[in-house]
Amino acid sequence: MSPAAQIDDLTFAHPGADLPALEQVSLRVPAGESVALLGPSGAGKTTILALLDGRLHGWRGRVSVLGVPLDPDQPPPRASRPDTGFVFQEFALVERSTVLRNVLNGRLGRMSPLRALLGSPTPHDLEIARTALADCGIADLAERRVDSLSGGQRQRVAIARCLAQEPRLILADEPVSHLDPARAGEVLALLTGAARARGATALFSSHQPDLARRFAQRIIGIRDGRIAFDVPTSELKDEATAALYREAEPLPGLGLRAVS
Amino acid sequence: MGPRGFGGFATSALIAGAILWSFVTTDVELSRLVSAGPRIADFLGRMFPPDPTVMAEIRKGSAETLRIAILGSLGAVILSIPLGILASETMVSPALYRPVRTLLAFIRAIPLILVAMLMVGAVGLGPLPGIIAVAFHATGMLAKFYAEAIDGVSRAPIAALESAGAGPLVRLRHAIWPQMAPVVARDTIFRFELNLRESLILGIVGAGGIGFYIQTYVRSFQYDKAASVTIAVVVMVIAIEALNVALRRRFA
Repeated sequence: MSPAAQIDDLTFAHPGADLPALEQVSLRVPAGESVALLGPSGAGKTTILALLDGRLHGWRGRVSVLGVPLDPDQPPPRASRPDTGFVFQEFALVERSTVLRNVLNGRLGRMSPLRALLGSPTPHDLEIARTALADCGIADLAERRVDSLSGGQRQRVAIARCLAQEPRLILADEPVSHLDPARAGEVLALLTGAARARGATALFSSHQPDLARRFAQRIIGIRDGRIAFDVPTSELKDEATAALYREAEPLPGLGLRAVS
Repeated sequence: MGPRGFGGFATSALIAGAILWSFVTTDVELSRLVSAGPRIADFLGRMFPPDPTVMAEIRKGSAETLRIAILGSLGAVILSIPLGILASETMVSPALYRPVRTLLAFIRAIPLILVAMLMVGAVGLGPLPGIIAVAFHATGMLAKFYAEAIDGVSRAPIAALESAGAGPLVRLRHAIWPQMAPVVARDTIFRFELNLRESLILGIVGAGGIGFYIQTYVRSFQYDKAASVTIAVVVMVIAIEALNVALRRRFA
């Protein structure tokens, strides 16, 4: 089976930045698996996810998502975008709209243009939205406005919107960074479970090695914009994750000296 | 010299110069103000008591002013929706929003009473030139407000809808509009209040409404009737303000 996403020899610098955010990155996300992108803050996890969502331009290398190559100069065709779902770190919900409205927003790319503009979902759209709400355990919140919800509830709404989109690849950017450990486990179980139940691939970023180990079949370590390792979870050694988070070695000759 | 240096000194000198220039070159005879005492008392005396027999004219004039404000505001909203989108930094390219913004600034710079006079010349006396003038004049401000409302919303939900495959108009409808709706409601009510206040005097140039009676009574020295109309105008302005406050609470 072809991979859900594949990156080869990718280099990318944010506009105006001196140093590249990603350098010589190559990775494969096998179809149907749950994969974790593990690394410290600023390593380039969000950049990789945005790249696979078709939101970055001006990169060099080869990227293909769900078997379709991306163009570094053009956003992907709109018709293909619902196939890749994104769970944003800051949720990116419409605060003044209801939970159900926000989840139905995930259907907009799947509706006819006129239905999308009028915001008039078919019974099929509604059923998918309600199933996504139920799967995320927030069916009872459907009519609540998002600005009245807690952080954990918003996270579930953001995941439900992504599921309602019926994506074949789910990209989740730090989906549990706002949650306490118990809730973080619940939400990752929900995300990876829902992806598996739908036959979709899930790629989530995290800076917590224990969560990555519990919920991912494969873990890709990233540090300073480079891939440090890319292994099945069962083969991941503790030293490898420790190295990911170790402070940079001081350069020779710059070590501090005791003053007295 | 103070801590702000020469710039501060120059500003002070400029303001002082402007005031002196105005005094010296204007024919202000303060003595006239002293001798005017009895005449002002006579003038106010003739305004009092206000003549209550003009209620019918007040009702007719206020209703027409209200109609001018409502229809003028409606026209401004209809013009401001497309112009607001075209003046938005986040919806269109600089090649488009820059000239549209310049056009709106130009419209704002023309006083309403001047637009009304031109419209009376173009379409004749009555409420129609008033309605057109209010719609035109208010669009300069309202379209700018709408553009700012569009540009002021949180970008994250828009990016999320784009990622989900929604086109620009669908994003405007489902990600931008729900965020900007309370701002649009507040700005539109505010502009309606201004339209009603400003159209009270349109009758003076023949563009319809209650201002016509103020002008008629003052010109014909019927100050007691003019006083009644003035009181009616004050009551209307206070009522508009109260309504505005109530509506703003409703849309918060």
